[in-house]
Amino acid sequence: MKTSQNPTTRARQRYYWEFGFSIAGYVALIFLSRSIWSQTAPSWRIPVALLPILPMIFVFAAVVRYVVRMDELERQVLVQSLALAGGATALLSVTYGLLEGAPLPHPSAWWTYSVFMTGWLVSYFFVRRRYQ
Amino acid sequence: MKNRIKVLRAEKDWSQAELADRIGVARQTIVALEAGKYAPSLPLAFKLSRLFQRPIEEIFVDEPSDDIASHETK
Repeated sequence: MKTSQNPTTRARQRYYWEFGFSIAGYVALIFLSRSIWSQTAPSWRIPVALLPILPMIFVFAAVVRYVVRMDELERQVLVQSLALAGGATALLSVTYGLLEGAPLPHPSAWWTYSVFMTGWLVSYFFVRRRYQ
Repeated sequence: MKNRIKVLRAEKDWSQAELADRIGVARQTIVALEAGKYAPSLPLAFKLSRLFQRPIEEIFVDEPSDDIASHETK
C-alpha cells in the first residue's frame, strides 16, 4: 500500500522554499540598499539601511511555522540546542561586558549574533548525537 | 525508555520509513525510539498504540524511578 507523504517532510520542504525565497530577497535588498546608499538623503539613510530587515521578518515567520509543524524529536533537539547556545552567548556577553572597562574594545553587535549562531551549530551537533 | 516498537514493526513487516510515514514523524524519530534514546510525547505514544492496536503499557516498558518508589513506601 502506498502511504501518503510524511507531514514532517512536507513541512521541511515548505520551509526550504520559504527560507530560500526570503534569503534571495535579503540578498537582493542588501545590494539595492548598498547601491542607493550614496545617493540617499541623510534623513532616508536609516530606512534604506534597514531595507534588508523586511525579508528577514519573513525568514523569522518561516522558522516559527516550521518549528510548530516539525517532528517532535526535531523540535526537542532544536529547543535544547537553542537554549544551550543562548546560555553560552549570555555568559560570554556578560563576561566580555565586564572586561570592556578593562579596557577591551567595544565589539560590533554582529559578534553577538555570530557567537550565538556558532554556538547553536555546535550545540545542535552534540544534542543531535544524544538521540542517535 | 525501553519499548517493543522494533518487534511490533517487524511483525507488520514495515520499514522504519513506512512506520514514520504512518504516524507522521521523521524516520530519525523511529530510530531514536527503537534505540530507547527518546521517550515520546503522550500523543505520539497514543498514535503508536492505535496503530499497533495494543495498550501503551504493552508497547513501552515502565521503569519506575527511585523518587516514586521511595514515595510509595512512605
